Amino acid sequence: MANIALDKVTKRFGRVVAVNGLSLEIHHGEFFCVLGPPGAGKTTTLRLIVGLEQPEEGNILIDGEIANEIHPGRRDIAMMFQNLALYPDKTVFDNIAYPLRERKMPQEQIQARVTSVAKKLYIDHLLQRKPAKLSGGERQRVALGRSLVREPRAYLMDEPLANLDALLRLEMRVELKRLQQELKQTLVYVTHDQVEAMSMADRIAVLNHGVLQQCDVPDVIYSLPTNRFVATVIGSPPTNFIPADVSRVPGELLVAHPAFTLRAAGEGHPLAAALVKNGALPAKTLVGVRPEDLQVFAASPGPDGLPAQVSVIEPLGGETVVDLLFGPDIIKAVIPPDQQFSEGQAVWIRFDPDRIHFFDATSGVRNYTTGRTAGLICAGRVSV
Amino acid sequence: MASIRLENLRKAFGPVVAVDNLSLEIPDGAFAALLGPSGCGKSTTMNMIAGLEIPSSGTIYFSGRPMTDVPPGKRGVGFVFQNYAIFSHMTVAENIGFGLKIAHQHKADIRREVAEVAKLLQLAPMLDMNAGRLSINDMQKVALGRSMITKPGIFLLDEPFSNLDAAFREYMRGELKRIQRRLGQTMIYVTHDQVEAMSMADKIAVMYCGELYQFGSPDEVYNWPENQFVARFIGSPNMNFINCRYQAENGRGFLVQKAGGAKTLVDDQRRRLLEAQTNSDDLVLGIRPEHLKVGCQEADQNCWEASVYAIEPLGPKTVIHLKVAEDLIQVIAPSGYRPHVGERQYIGLAPGRMHIFAGKTKAVIR
Amino acid sequence: MSKPKPWQSVLRYILVITWAIIAIFPVFWMATMAFKPKSEWTSAAGTIYWVPQEPTLENFQTVLTEYRGKFFRGNQESALPAIRSSIIIGIAGTAFALVIGTLAAYGLSRFTTETGVIPWYVVLGRLLLLLLVMIPVMLLWARTGIIQTWWGIATYTLVGIVADNLIGRVLGRVYKRGPAGSLSFSILQLRFFPPMAILISVMIMWSAFKLVDTWYGVALIYGVVTFPFVVWLMKSFFDDVPRELDEAAIVDGSSNWGAFFKVVLPLVKGGLASTALFVFILNWSDFLIALLLTNRKWVTIPVFLNTLVTADAGAQHGPKAALGLIAAVPVIIFGIAIQKYLVRGLTFGAIKK
Repeated sequence: MANIALDKVTKRFGRVVAVNGLSLEIHHGEFFCVLGPPGAGKTTTLRLIVGLEQPEEGNILIDGEIANEIHPGRRDIAMMFQNLALYPDKTVFDNIAYPLRERKMPQEQIQARVTSVAKKLYIDHLLQRKPAKLSGGERQRVALGRSLVREPRAYLMDEPLANLDALLRLEMRVELKRLQQELKQTLVYVTHDQVEAMSMADRIAVLNHGVLQQCDVPDVIYSLPTNRFVATVIGSPPTNFIPADVSRVPGELLVAHPAFTLRAAGEGHPLAAALVKNGALPAKTLVGVRPEDLQVFAASPGPDGLPAQVSVIEPLGGETVVDLLFGPDIIKAVIPPDQQFSEGQAVWIRFDPDRIHFFDATSGVRNYTTGRTAGLICAGRVSV
Repeated sequence: MASIRLENLRKAFGPVVAVDNLSLEIPDGAFAALLGPSGCGKSTTMNMIAGLEIPSSGTIYFSGRPMTDVPPGKRGVGFVFQNYAIFSHMTVAENIGFGLKIAHQHKADIRREVAEVAKLLQLAPMLDMNAGRLSINDMQKVALGRSMITKPGIFLLDEPFSNLDAAFREYMRGELKRIQRRLGQTMIYVTHDQVEAMSMADKIAVMYCGELYQFGSPDEVYNWPENQFVARFIGSPNMNFINCRYQAENGRGFLVQKAGGAKTLVDDQRRRLLEAQTNSDDLVLGIRPEHLKVGCQEADQNCWEASVYAIEPLGPKTVIHLKVAEDLIQVIAPSGYRPHVGERQYIGLAPGRMHIFAGKTKAVIR
Repeated sequence: MSKPKPWQSVLRYILVITWAIIAIFPVFWMATMAFKPKSEWTSAAGTIYWVPQEPTLENFQTVLTEYRGKFFRGNQESALPAIRSSIIIGIAGTAFALVIGTLAAYGLSRFTTETGVIPWYVVLGRLLLLLLVMIPVMLLWARTGIIQTWWGIATYTLVGIVADNLIGRVLGRVYKRGPAGSLSFSILQLRFFPPMAILISVMIMWSAFKLVDTWYGVALIYGVVTFPFVVWLMKSFFDDVPRELDEAAIVDGSSNWGAFFKVVLPLVKGGLASTALFVFILNWSDFLIALLLTNRKWVTIPVFLNTLVTADAGAQHGPKAALGLIAAVPVIIFGIAIQKYLVRGLTFGAIKK
């Protein structure tokens, strides 16, 4: 069990700032995911924790102690590399036994531990083989075994499932999650795949360009993203962003777009307060709606239906993604597979009134999200 | 624009047969996907269509014309590879216009066509930038533009986005489909990602180890898989498979789970088919997670007792993994649903959504 | 690509066979010569015999035993001491270069960001500037006469190294992105001029240190001269081993040395073997350095062969051929012995692409 913390850590490579003032706290036994696009600084964060890189500023704390100067081998943290880094000239047994031999463990103990770990991972019949003769999934498990056998206080994994084919990846996801829960050990897991993060993590830290965007449980990150970046990264297909103009008329706040108008009635509507920046209302805002929070109809569903046109249809089997021309923008909606539309068809869409986000048009920060108490009126014939 | 027909195509590298007796017909202007796990002959097939490999036997026809003696340069085919082959020291505009420059077209014409392609790919603001300085996403777009500009009748793409991040891949799916509709080319897209194939293609060829398993529209391969391999490969989360055997009881037919004995009622039409089977002891029941439901009455016919094995919250939906005796199945549940591991649940099967496969041949029984 | 037409294949075969004949012929000639009796390899024979009519071992006998004959050096020794000398010096020189060079290569591979690729302006720039700086120094040294002493040579070398370093740094600042100060280049520079160019200076220094006509003296210079090759070959082998393997070993608890010896080195066994063979062949066939640095005790095979030419008995083709054949044997044995290490694909399966 470990409590790992980063305290205002900055790491530079030449002129590139890989990690910028990052502060994170990872709790004992947590399945902690670091999520972000390539180049976000996720791998660097992992390498800083294990000690393969030294921070220029800030501290790495393990169980409360500053660990910056401690050699990676002595931090008692196991790391699984993205490309596994199995020792190719050594057998599976020797690969898994390597860390134990480096710690000068007696031979019988090594034998016992390696065989028990191998049995647990269903690779005990492969112990005399070399990595070249194993399948992708088997190699994965050998790398996992090499980490498990050390019984460290924390595990770090760098996109371990990225190189597996789709079927194997899905299987391994469930297995990894179960393993972590059984072991009750801290796991810091790096990925760029948001589905993995959402399905496995207790908490997710979203990074972009080395800066922490949001760190919270998956549900909150999904429904209340702090900014545009997080709202794009999480959820598939990503959130739709629709630029709109903001204006105030007596008694109402108007958010206007060629295809619709949202009206917030009343002087004290929380949306007005949330949008205000530097004492004034901005001229523009970004309306964010998730594709799964949109409904599509062949005929107008009523006063809150908004006209749109089907551009292309992406049938995914279990659901269908519809690309829609909505005013000057293209947005995506997720609809059940039995709903059939054709390309070019004129349709009506409806926003889920409880799940409309408003993002600042320049900074991307999320200002406001509607909920049950919102009292927002959406016209161009929409209502709450 | 051309239609493509493959007739008994075969390619062997020494003793290894990469493609075996492949026959396909792709209509003019269609978006076709070659889908299958890595290393199963998809790229080899593509290379043969392009002319980079010579088939060991069989013929390739473009619009009815055999291509056996036509070298790659003369087939009118455009290519995009996985590792974007662009000239990093030239600007984006120079890269895209390269093919036209080689063909000695007028500068003004080149400029115009480059601008059109750039607009289509949303590269217009970057036209004068040095291509080596772009992000890898944009670099791949440039590679796409460079192949597109010569307006080939047939466009071959070999896993072009597999090295790029997930968000970009999703975005390009819709874009590529839109572009294909606009330009009307016949497009063949190789991928191992079934979501890509499903979302973009008009027809999908599911291949493995050089053999064609099914060739059909997304709806066909998803809802009417012809064999167990296709059924397993398409759809995420995967279809559930349970080994079972057929049992007749009181004039009704049941599928009985081999591992645990859970029973499912089979409708009349299928009952007749199953009774006509020679080996009704070795069957596989397939049903997709979205056609299973948590919560049904114990007494119901198609209701199974299961215990929760794992939970995967995925935002708008949750996938519950459960064990029915020894078999592991997945069920889609609403977003906030959070049972405990080990809890007992009752899973209902939608009767009309079952697929039954023969255990030995893996073919569907329909 | 279209199927190759038949005549293209035939032409290819013809070209390959012709070239093979040209390449193998000298060896064939020497091999047959070694077994020919005197009557067949002297001009007294009259015609050229392709294959020995009366094969005999007398050439081998001549060369391997002492016998009376009037040679340049007086009484003749057998070639056996020369063979022994070549073997000891060859192995020692190779070992020396391998050890130092491999360590240097590992350092260059892991602890620098140098790719080993050097832009043309850096090459030109450094060489010209170095020339510019060192010529006046040389004139000064020559003027004071110290260029002929061993310490004069040594200090000149040191000044050269320092100057090279400074030039590298200056150029590095001028060309902000180029690797002008690269260590790889400095090592490569050692081979820009053939060793012959510096041999006089080496002779002076070696005699000052009493290294002439000793096995370690010759092995030392062999090591120095082949060191750049070892570095360049081994660096590329090390570069092919992904850094993640070192890092995995370190995370698993090894020290840097441990990671090197236990993980990385075993993986470049093939590279080490082929480099060793290459360097050994270089040392084995060297003539000039051995000629200048050996006298009597440690004469190597190439130098010894040379003495067989200047006999007043005429060019001893037969014995020379015999010795040539014998000289090939150790190299062949070496090659066979390390064959199993020359296997490619040691890193397959460890790393995903």
